[in-house]
Amino acid sequence: MDITFKNVSYTYQPNTPFEHNALKNVSFHIPSGSFIAIIGHTGSGKSTLIQHLNGLLTPTKGEVKIGNYTLSSEKKLREMKELRSKVGVVFQYPEHQLFEETVEKDIAFGPENFGVPTSTIKKRIEEIMPKVGLSNDFLSRSPFELSGGQMRRVAIAGVLATNPSIYVLDEPTAGLDPKGQKEMMDMFYQMHQEEEITTILVTHSMEDALKYADYIIILNQGEKYMEGKPEEVFLRESDIQKVHLQVPESIQFLKKYNEKFGTQLPLTRQSTKEIAAQISRTL
Amino acid sequence: MSNSMIIGQYVPGTSLIHKLDPRTKIVIIFFYVIVVFFANNVLSYGLLTTFVIITIISTFIPLRFIIKGLTPVWFLIIFTFLLHLFLTKEGPVLFEILSIKFHLGGVIQGLVISLRFCLLILMTSLLTLTTTPIEITDAIESLLHPLKKVKFPVHELALMMSISLRFIPTLMQETDKISKAQASRGVDFRTGPLKERMKAIIPLLVPLFVSAFKRAEELAMAMEARGYQGGEGRTKLRELTYRKKDLFIFILFICVVALLIYVRS
Repeated sequence: MDITFKNVSYTYQPNTPFEHNALKNVSFHIPSGSFIAIIGHTGSGKSTLIQHLNGLLTPTKGEVKIGNYTLSSEKKLREMKELRSKVGVVFQYPEHQLFEETVEKDIAFGPENFGVPTSTIKKRIEEIMPKVGLSNDFLSRSPFELSGGQMRRVAIAGVLATNPSIYVLDEPTAGLDPKGQKEMMDMFYQMHQEEEITTILVTHSMEDALKYADYIIILNQGEKYMEGKPEEVFLRESDIQKVHLQVPESIQFLKKYNEKFGTQLPLTRQSTKEIAAQISRTL
Repeated sequence: MSNSMIIGQYVPGTSLIHKLDPRTKIVIIFFYVIVVFFANNVLSYGLLTTFVIITIISTFIPLRFIIKGLTPVWFLIIFTFLLHLFLTKEGPVLFEILSIKFHLGGVIQGLVISLRFCLLILMTSLLTLTTTPIEITDAIESLLHPLKKVKFPVHELALMMSISLRFIPTLMQETDKISKAQASRGVDFRTGPLKERMKAIIPLLVPLFVSAFKRAEELAMAMEARGYQGGEGRTKLRELTYRKKDLFIFILFICVVALLIYVRS
């Protein structure tokens, strides 16, 4: 499903002294099947933006289109539940949403709400558990006796179980150990690639944005500040530093290396390993 | 969610009212609430209304905002007005609709009671609008201090109050976050039969309680780690001190009260 934002503005608590414009006239287009990273400093409007993607917020001004569903201030969307079944949102610290007695019941909670038959849910759970890196022994345990990382995996499984066609990931790896972070991101990336699921990732990690995203949108104080392919966006170092963001270390390194040794190594989305290989070839 | 609720919402400012000692404000409000019931004629109500309006203006809080905050109690005000309109049978009959007689006494009584309501609510909401919850708790602790002699746990009470006040916004945020997460998983809090909506509360309440207990535990640990042992010998960062402006406001208030007693019939 394509996603289009057209001149979207959102105001919290309008007409009070606490009025706050969280989004200002934001427009962009996300084609179906792409992997988008949304980055920005704290308070730049990222969380507000993603809440528009499944109708938790409706724009104060402007229009949001997700596939055939339109969200605007004028008309209330009738098929809200349908939209929510197609957009799977993984919020920050999703383990806070667990409440059922067993892991299995909690994962089944979403699909049950969307009216998926029990037999299908069972099948889906069996498929998902290995994907999120949990064994089936967990299914009968209480989610509250698991470790933080395991709880996170259960919560993510609960979102995946609804079989969405869009993933919205709000810092899904925050608070995990480095290994867990990489596993989690690789899992989402794999699902995105295999099933062509449109993925929107909100992140503070420029490295992740560079590594996974086809396209980057940078927000600053509620406005769209920059957008483009990661290898293009990250070249504009001074612009990026202006909004208190950092260019990924690999690109910084490559730039400095080129300056110092007068080489012309190209800036693509290569990993540290690939950079090392390229350099060793020039030596 | 709670956009129209202003009771308990603090609006930062630098007006004279904001800068008063919270104890002054609480004591004045306390006596004001009693004094409102002394008013019994046009002149005395006029005096009180003027007093309230001047106080509101001097806080520099937008009037629109204060009036909006009255929305939850409008119903109550209108209800009392109607009650008096229909039930008070005093004075000459004003008009008659469908053989129900409306008396002048009823209209006046209804208006007076509604006005009294407004006067009370406006003034008391000004207290929380111009005073931070922490200031209010400090003031209550200080005002209740004499009760310590009869072994009343003043400090503990104040601490409990400030902790609960401190965590109201946190819990509200948490509720908002969890309800959004569950709404994304297909829970419908707004529509559907009552039974279903009651059931929808469970996925909200369980995580909320879990996190509240966790938070309480963490807070207790953090307090102990910083050497908290209760009120004995504990000093304060913000000492409350009465200043000249407090005296000034007190005298002003006493003048208003004296005038009120003079003009009431």
